[in-house]
Amino acid sequence: MGKPKKEPKIKRKTYIDTWRFLFQIGAFIAILVNPFLNYYFHVKVIQGWYQSIAFGHLWFVSPLEGIEALLITKIIYMPWIIGMTLPIIVALLLGRVFCSWICPINFFYEIMDRVHKKISKRSYYKRKPLFTLPRWILWVALVGELMLAMIVGKPIFVFLSPPGLVGREIMMAVFFHTLALEGIIVLIVLTTYLISQRFFCQYLCPLGALLAFIGAKRRLIIVQDMNTCHQCGFCDRACPWGIYPSRGEAEGIYCTNCGSCVAVCPFNARKFVFVGFTPSSEKLKLEKVPSGRQ
Amino acid sequence: MKKENTSPKDSDKRNGEISRREFLRVLVGFSLTLPELAHAKSKFFSSPVHTNALRPPGAVPEDLFAGKCVRCGRCAEVCPYHCIEMLDIRHGLYAGTPIIYVDKIPCYLCMECTKVCPTGTLKPIPQEETRMGLAVVDKYRCITWKGEGICRSCYNACPYKDKAIYLDRLRPVVNKDHCTGCGLCTAACPVTPKAINIEPIYSFKVSKR
Repeated sequence: MGKPKKEPKIKRKTYIDTWRFLFQIGAFIAILVNPFLNYYFHVKVIQGWYQSIAFGHLWFVSPLEGIEALLITKIIYMPWIIGMTLPIIVALLLGRVFCSWICPINFFYEIMDRVHKKISKRSYYKRKPLFTLPRWILWVALVGELMLAMIVGKPIFVFLSPPGLVGREIMMAVFFHTLALEGIIVLIVLTTYLISQRFFCQYLCPLGALLAFIGAKRRLIIVQDMNTCHQCGFCDRACPWGIYPSRGEAEGIYCTNCGSCVAVCPFNARKFVFVGFTPSSEKLKLEKVPSGRQ
Repeated sequence: MKKENTSPKDSDKRNGEISRREFLRVLVGFSLTLPELAHAKSKFFSSPVHTNALRPPGAVPEDLFAGKCVRCGRCAEVCPYHCIEMLDIRHGLYAGTPIIYVDKIPCYLCMECTKVCPTGTLKPIPQEETRMGLAVVDKYRCITWKGEGICRSCYNACPYKDKAIYLDRLRPVVNKDHCTGCGLCTAACPVTPKAINIEPIYSFKVSKR
């Protein structure tokens, strides 16, 4: 940092992709194993999945499902509110990390990415999407879903959310030796991979939209060091979420802090920064890319 | 060779045309499914709770239940008797909500599910205050009431013996003040169809907000 541009050094390896994948595996194992523990061993320490998950007496409630139910019933029940607090605080500070680091649907996508990478034999690739939509469709999905739920008078996303359905299908398979019919939704969502890498997450997921909205002014952002950046565009090609980090979009509302661009950068010009709490924040703000730059 | 194989088949078909018989077959087939569809639609919006299909203990009334429940399935996971089942999309807006079919596996009133519900859909309440429904004896099916024999399976199974079910000259009678609607009596009843059933009379009252 701060040095004049030199010949590119040998890249210091960042293991962020590996860490993320391990984290996703851990998060998936949490929902994969707990039905077995509950059913066969009567170990009730972990219950539920990403609609509401409990580790002992630490309860989490998914914010969108909670807000949906709150809007419809208009009743406040404290365990419910307290369960929603921690995910909301995480989203406020770290942004949409649930999407990229925990969500089982994204975990399946990530496996597909890895398989695709193996097959394509190119170190850095970007598959061209069949078509792209304007990004604000995401907000339409969120508002539309909430409005629909309020018109019908029953929450919709609680039983149709793909991340929740993954958990429920595992639980149904273990407890009742059958699968629920709505699991087809998961397959449909996974098939949208053929359109673009995160088609559902990018445009249609109301939960992702809510987390993005909460994390609009998040503390953890990925900044670009303009002194070391060579504008190679590898980050644009590596981003599975279809955003362009080189145009400063990594600091915007749609970034999920997955860190793919950090891992791929050959000059180590991108890194995670916790703004506002670090003493050098003023300095880092200067290094931010003006968002209009093409 | 391949071309020769395929060409005679193609020539038999009149490309893209549907014969009258096929068209009528499709039409009749579709019209036969219409009542099914109408039935499915009514099921889509109406509550799955009915006789012997009950909500777990401490449940809020049905007007709030589907709105409050976030379908996390934790009640079904903690249930040590696996009596709580999850509904699927065939029940429409009620998909993912818990239900107990008491004639299959009744509720043993361990109250574990009420302790884990994160949204207050199942409220933590004492065991004796549970009101999942009310047991109703069918006097035209019950062996003892018909005078065909002496059976007290329901009386023996009841967790609030002599309070919820007491014997009036050996015939079982249900006391509304103590019956929790757990369905142990229904599961124990040897008669088919069951001579004692749980009616979810408390599920359809209007909830206090």
